[in-house]
Order: sequence, then C-alpha cells, then structure tokens
Amino acid sequence: MRVLLVDDETEFVTTLAERLSFRGFKVDYAIRTIDALALAEKNEYDLAVLDMKMPGTSGLELKGLLEKIQKDMKFIFLTGHGSEADYVAGSSASACYLVKPVKIETLIAKMHEAVKA
Amino acid sequence: MGIPYDAIGEAGLRFFGKVSASIAHEIKNVLAIINENAGLLEDLTFAAQRGSAIDPERLSKVCGQFTKQIQRADGIMKNMSHFAHSVDVFDTRADLYEVTCLVANLAARLAAMRKLTIEVVPAKTLVLFTGNPFLLQNLIWLCLEFAFGATSAGSNLLLIPVNDDAGIALRIGGIDSLDAGFAGKMPTGYEDLLAALGAKLSANCNTKELILHLP
Repeated sequence: MRVLLVDDETEFVTTLAERLSFRGFKVDYAIRTIDALALAEKNEYDLAVLDMKMPGTSGLELKGLLEKIQKDMKFIFLTGHGSEADYVAGSSASACYLVKPVKIETLIAKMHEAVKA
Repeated sequence: MGIPYDAIGEAGLRFFGKVSASIAHEIKNVLAIINENAGLLEDLTFAAQRGSAIDPERLSKVCGQFTKQIQRADGIMKNMSHFAHSVDVFDTRADLYEVTCLVANLAARLAAMRKLTIEVVPAKTLVLFTGNPFLLQNLIWLCLEFAFGATSAGSNLLLIPVNDDAGIALRIGGIDSLDAGFAGKMPTGYEDLLAALGAKLSANCNTKELILHLP
C-alpha cells in the first residue's frame, strides 16, 4: 500500500512515516499542503492520512484538492482536536476520523478498511 | 424574576473556552509525538530482539524528541497556568508588555493556522496597566481575532505597548486590510469590554495599526 502522510507537526509525521515503513508500507510525507499536492501529482497513492487542521488549509480542503488529482484516493483524518463539529465534518466526508494520539495498530486497521471500501 | 444578561461574562467564558481548546489541541500534538517516539523505541527493541543492531545515534535522537516535547508541553502549561490565575485578582497593576506576551503566546497557534506570526515589541519604559487583567486579555484577544481576519497570510503582526503624551496604549500593527470600517468587523463583545475597562479603540489606516487606548 502506498500512503501519503500530511501533517504540519514535522516530528510526528517523520516518526509515523518511519514506523509505517517498518511495517511494509511505502510512505511519503509532507508538512505543507503545496508539497502534498506536488507529491500527488508525481506519485499514485492508495490512501492519504491528513491532519484535520493545517496552516492555511483544512484537511477537508486538502482532501478536495487531492481528489482532483487522484479521484480514487482514500482518506483518513487525524486530529488533535476533539470537537463535535470536527468529528461531524470529518466523518461525513467519506473518510475515517481518528483523534491523536492513536495506536499504530488502530491506524493500520483503519487504513486497510479504507482501501478495501 | 430573570437573571440579568451578563455580556461580559459570556465573552469571558467564550474566551476561556477558545484558549482551553487551543491548548488541548497543542497538548494532543505533543502527546502524539511522544506516542510515536515511544512506539519507535518499541519497534527498535523488537528488531534488536531479532538480531538487528540498534544505532546509538537513533536512540539519542528519540531521547532528544522526548526532551524537546516535554519542554514544549512545559511552556504550554506555564502559559495555561498564568492565564488561569489571571482571574485571581479583578483589580491590579500589571505590566502591559507581560499581559500582551501572554495573549500573544496563547494565540500563536491560531495565528500559525492562518500563516501569521505575532511579535511583541518590548516597551522602552515600563508600561503599567491598572484594572482587570482578564478583561484586558479578552480585549487583546478579540483585537487579534479581528487582525487575523484582516491580515494577509505570511504577515507578521507587531504588538507594541506604549506610554506617551496620549497615555497608555497597545498598538497592533501589520493589519494590511485595516480600514475605517473596522468597528463593524470586530468580534462580538468588544464594546462591552471597552466600556468595562474604560478603554477606547481607534485605527490608523495609514500605518495599518489598531490602537487600544487604556486608562
């Protein structure tokens, strides 16, 4: 499975990318929206794991932009925010919504579910 | 008999809620990084149990992350504690620079979400504010909320406490879309806070500064 991780917390996204790589996933990551879009232009991804709140762009907005590049890409939202409004927005956008910190086993299970859906 | 509507109290609760939610979000991010680094140590240990060598440099980097995130969380909690204790006294003398720094720190993440930065410039002399520090923090916060919506991404907002012939003021500069109609775009509740503090708000559209005049 090829995965794109997008989160403005550099230490989070790099460590998660390394851990997913250990488990056999092919992972690229970006800490800025513009870099995520550039990666999606260049590579095909099965799934993107997006931070819900990024500087300048929300995860929902980024999902829309990535879908324009790769319409079959699946999505999982990660967030530090536990607000009801975010949950409703995230989970109604044809994507899974997980609150940080998340167990890697939970994330991987959701990744497989999302790709199979 | 109905209870009188307390607009200032409601604005204060909204302010407290927004700051608390922002801090909770920041702490969640810190915990997520610690969680991933703890998981990475488990992964490296698992690999070592199966004969792979552990690179000491790699371990050192993970330990460095723990230290960095603990320091980050400590800074966040110091701001939260300082903020929470600002309601301990309702009438006091406070250093306007320190009050402004606290609000700027609390608002930094929300500014970053809009690709903005906040810089507080130390006053040339001590600028003392007398009054309710929590109401002042709330008012500065509302001014910043307005400024976030009226400033282009990539800009730096400059907060400057001053004490000159015109009296005590906080100048908020760098608001590039500031115009004479700013009052109509300010967040709800600012007028009540101005009245409660005996403060006034004006705009200098030439210098792109919002000026909060304090008693």
